[in-house]
Amino acid sequence: MIAFLLLAAEGEGQVAQIARTFGVDWPHLGAQIISFGIVCAVLYKFAYRSILAMLEERRQQIAQGIANAAKIKAELDRTEAQRVEVLEQAHDQATAFIEEARAAAARVLEEETRKAMLVAEQISIRARETAAQDHERMLGELKQEVGRMVVQATTAVTGRILTPEDHRRLAEETARQVAVAAAVSA
Amino acid sequence: MISSKQARRRARQLFRLCHVKGFVDETRVRRVVLHVLNAGYRECPAILAHFLRLVRLDRHQHTARIESATPLPADLQASTEASLKGIYGLGLTTAFVERPSLLGGMRIQVGNDVYDGSVLARLAALQNNF
Repeated sequence: MIAFLLLAAEGEGQVAQIARTFGVDWPHLGAQIISFGIVCAVLYKFAYRSILAMLEERRQQIAQGIANAAKIKAELDRTEAQRVEVLEQAHDQATAFIEEARAAAARVLEEETRKAMLVAEQISIRARETAAQDHERMLGELKQEVGRMVVQATTAVTGRILTPEDHRRLAEETARQVAVAAAVSA
Repeated sequence: MISSKQARRRARQLFRLCHVKGFVDETRVRRVVLHVLNAGYRECPAILAHFLRLVRLDRHQHTARIESATPLPADLQASTEASLKGIYGLGLTTAFVERPSLLGGMRIQVGNDVYDGSVLARLAALQNNF
């Protein structure tokens, strides 16, 4: 300001001409500059500093919020990774369970199939045995029936066919048998 | 009162008394029976029952039942009787019976021994083979 006053004093001629042209009132301008300075000082002391503090606080809060957001994002990423890992583990376990269940089902199926085949084979064997027994029984019954019919027919005709010579020959056979027994016992 | 075992033993003793030369003498059997009946013992029925059973068995063992479908010729009867006496002794009694159901041949039974050459027996054997 002093320099400005000195400059003003030195160049009074031109400056004064310009000041007069623009209507400058130096005392009034000085008073306004002083009052403006006082206002600036007051504003700086009571408003600007609190605003700056508030802005700094806001900035710190924003930075903390950004840091928290980054931390949350990192936590989210970590959680996502854990989730993915858990899902993969669950998938692996589920796959293992499914494979185990399939293997168990295959074993059970194989065992049941084997049992069913065994039972079927036993039933088949039993059926064959029963059929063979029935066949044997029917064959035996048929033979007996044929034998009975043959004997019946023979009995019916033998009495009429045999001559007295045949009767004597047959009786002599038994007599010879007795004679042989007598010879052996003697 | 004697037991059944004692009655059997006494019956056997009486039965042995009836033997003459290895054969049962019918006269002695009658005398034994009369003697036991006249004695009037209380155990007489039991003894006589066993005694008669022994006599029956002996007669069965020494009787040959010769069955044939038609009457046997005399020579065949004689030869058969001789053969049987050769096996079972001279005390053997023979009985010739006509049995048409035999169809043919001859069947001889002496006690438990059977000689069966009848057509009926052969047909039965044939039927059993079926």
